[in-house]
Amino acid sequence: MPTFFDAWHFDGKSAVRRKVEVQTVGNQFYLAELERRHGPFAFADLEYAGEQGDASVYKMGGNDGWRLGLVGNVPTELVPHLPAKKTYGGWIDRLGIGPASAVFAIVSAAVVAVVLFSPQWLAPLIPASVETKIGDALIGDFGGRFCSTPKGKAALAKLTNALDADPRDLQVEVANIDMINAVAARRKVILFNGLVSQAKSPDEVAGVLAHEIGHVREKHVMQGMLRQMGLAVVLGGFDGNGGSTLNGLLSTTYTRESEREADDHSLKALKSASVSPIATADFFRRLSAMDGSAQMREGKERAMASYTSSHPLSDERRKLFENSVIKGKAYRPILSSDEWTELKTMCAQDRKVKSGWGFDFE
Amino acid sequence: MSDSQGRTPSAVTFHGSWIDFAKIALPNVLLTLVTLGIYRFWATTRERNYLWSKTRFIDEPLEWTGTGMELFIGFIMVLFLLGVPFAILQLVAQGMIFQGQVAIAAILVITMVLAIYYLTGVAYFRTLRYRLSRTYWRGIRGGSDDQGLTYGFSYIWKNFAAAIPLFLLYPWASISLWNERWNLMSFGPYRFESNARWTDLMKRYLLFYLVPFLIFAGIFIAGVSAGMSGGGGGNPFDSAGGIAAFTLIIVGVLAMYILVPIAALMYYSKFFRVAVGGLRLGDLEFEFKARSPDWILYWLGNIAIMGLAYGFAFAPFSAFVFASPEQFAQKIEAGETFMTAGFIISALIAIIPLAFAASIIRYRAWKFFAVHMEAYGEVNLDHLTQSETEVSSHGEGLLDAFDVGAM
Ligand SMILES: [Zn+2]
Repeated sequence: MPTFFDAWHFDGKSAVRRKVEVQTVGNQFYLAELERRHGPFAFADLEYAGEQGDASVYKMGGNDGWRLGLVGNVPTELVPHLPAKKTYGGWIDRLGIGPASAVFAIVSAAVVAVVLFSPQWLAPLIPASVETKIGDALIGDFGGRFCSTPKGKAALAKLTNALDADPRDLQVEVANIDMINAVAARRKVILFNGLVSQAKSPDEVAGVLAHEIGHVREKHVMQGMLRQMGLAVVLGGFDGNGGSTLNGLLSTTYTRESEREADDHSLKALKSASVSPIATADFFRRLSAMDGSAQMREGKERAMASYTSSHPLSDERRKLFENSVIKGKAYRPILSSDEWTELKTMCAQDRKVKSGWGFDFE
Repeated sequence: MSDSQGRTPSAVTFHGSWIDFAKIALPNVLLTLVTLGIYRFWATTRERNYLWSKTRFIDEPLEWTGTGMELFIGFIMVLFLLGVPFAILQLVAQGMIFQGQVAIAAILVITMVLAIYYLTGVAYFRTLRYRLSRTYWRGIRGGSDDQGLTYGFSYIWKNFAAAIPLFLLYPWASISLWNERWNLMSFGPYRFESNARWTDLMKRYLLFYLVPFLIFAGIFIAGVSAGMSGGGGGNPFDSAGGIAAFTLIIVGVLAMYILVPIAALMYYSKFFRVAVGGLRLGDLEFEFKARSPDWILYWLGNIAIMGLAYGFAFAPFSAFVFASPEQFAQKIEAGETFMTAGFIISALIAIIPLAFAASIIRYRAWKFFAVHMEAYGEVNLDHLTQSETEVSSHGEGLLDAFDVGAM
């Protein structure tokens, strides 16, 4: 039994708007104008295309630009043939926006948690050979900037042996670069010559070196890399600033924690080597004078700084090392003064080493 | 069919309301937040569905037929085809620097920058093509059969050429790129023709170009004369003239922040009038009627909305910090996870007003364009047949990834 119902129609071939009557025949329908009839069309091919004024608009799969607008109340015979309306998109419409949001929130929280926590147990599973390969590929020999003299290297080895129980798989180098910095990468620890030459004592270098060894032993670099990659993928959906701000906040939280762990590692190593942490505390005192954290006594400024910086504040670290000094303990210097001189002047003595950052296009 | 010359109402009218739009935008923000941003492709689509359907050309509304899924696929494509290779190249370049291979690293970086520039050009082109191919009016759509690959090269060399004479040829580059882009687009059976003239823009551009110099010169002259009249050496801040000079500096800095954006808006205003004015489609001619004061008001409105949003965004966050700064700092430094979690949650909440404001600004942008757009001429509905152009199946992924602006 055919149903008649007023509607408008664009056939997608020209821009002419047609006033039509829908004539239903079983699962099919015709669109009838005064002197012309379009169709038959199958109800199954109809797709919902949204609302337009007081009309519900339908399009037809495979017919570019074909539109049918049903105005007002659709007769009940027609309703079961029409596709469902969409608001938010498939899944959300089926669940309802409240439950769907809750489900999404739980899944998202779980995904973020996995990305944040899994590197801790994933990193140790990566074999040492792979780590070494990545390290070599990325760092190599620093473009020939590692300083080397027999006596200087011996002093460096003495430092390393005193600070690590089994240093065979560690490679410690001094790079001929005038920056107060040190980096740990996989199994390599690189002290920049700027740090060594400005140090007031070998104990100070020992504190920094033990901290970097801590990063290697706790697998922080690999963890950090995995976490960064994970967060970049998971938060990649947010555009521009939102995602990177969140990513930054989450990852600095973790790097600060790693730094704290490395400091703890350093304190333990110094203790078992009977080296006083006071020299390292003094190093942080000088650093804090440079970065201004000593002046940020309290308040908002300090709160903000402790959030945005990737390291704990130098002033805070000074306190930590200072408070770890055990009164009455028999501390001894980690190197003799001859050895210390050799280490300090190793880069100056090495004639073959390249210097600086080498933007000289060799 | 409809002749809109003379005293007839505007050919393009907008019938939306921002309250109705907010009812779309707020759930969008919520869903985007809980899906870690993935819903934003569907959110964009829902926004456009509304904006297009509330915009009438002559007698019939526009229709947006793009889908969230195609935008999402575009984004994923960009992530894998560009994001991953670029990340690896960056790592390699870093490693090269560490190993002292600076020359090779420099070549790698320059190649990457050029590639990104090229793809940005292609992305501009494809966005326009995508938007036209998803815009229907009376069941007819637009599009282009060009892939935009040549346009990418034009984008590089024209911008480069414009930069050589100290960026003085910028109007030439932008207008000639506009013409090149639109001349490759079509709607229904008709090709767009774009013949905008860049020389019409030069006066405004020179004004914008010279404003910073004029401000500096003004301050300098006024400052010197004030200093002279103050007389008597010693500390300049002791003399009345010295204080006047100091005030001038402050006035000058404020002028930079107010006059430079205004000069930029005046240039924009002229740009759109010239660019849209040079456009034709069949018998239709277009005009963009917004003048500088309209643009300035529009811009001030956006600033006010963003300001309000930042206020709302940082309220919970500051309450958290300001309640007790010392205690807060100590707890953070002690690495308390509870505080860290609280901090991250307030950062997430801060996204809500900011994202909502961004939606409202997109609404204002669309409304601004629709309200000021005008078309003259005749449309023959029998001759306006379906576009034969190919339909690209991916969305604006290329563009979103480089974040090169909305309109
Ligand atoms: Zn560290």
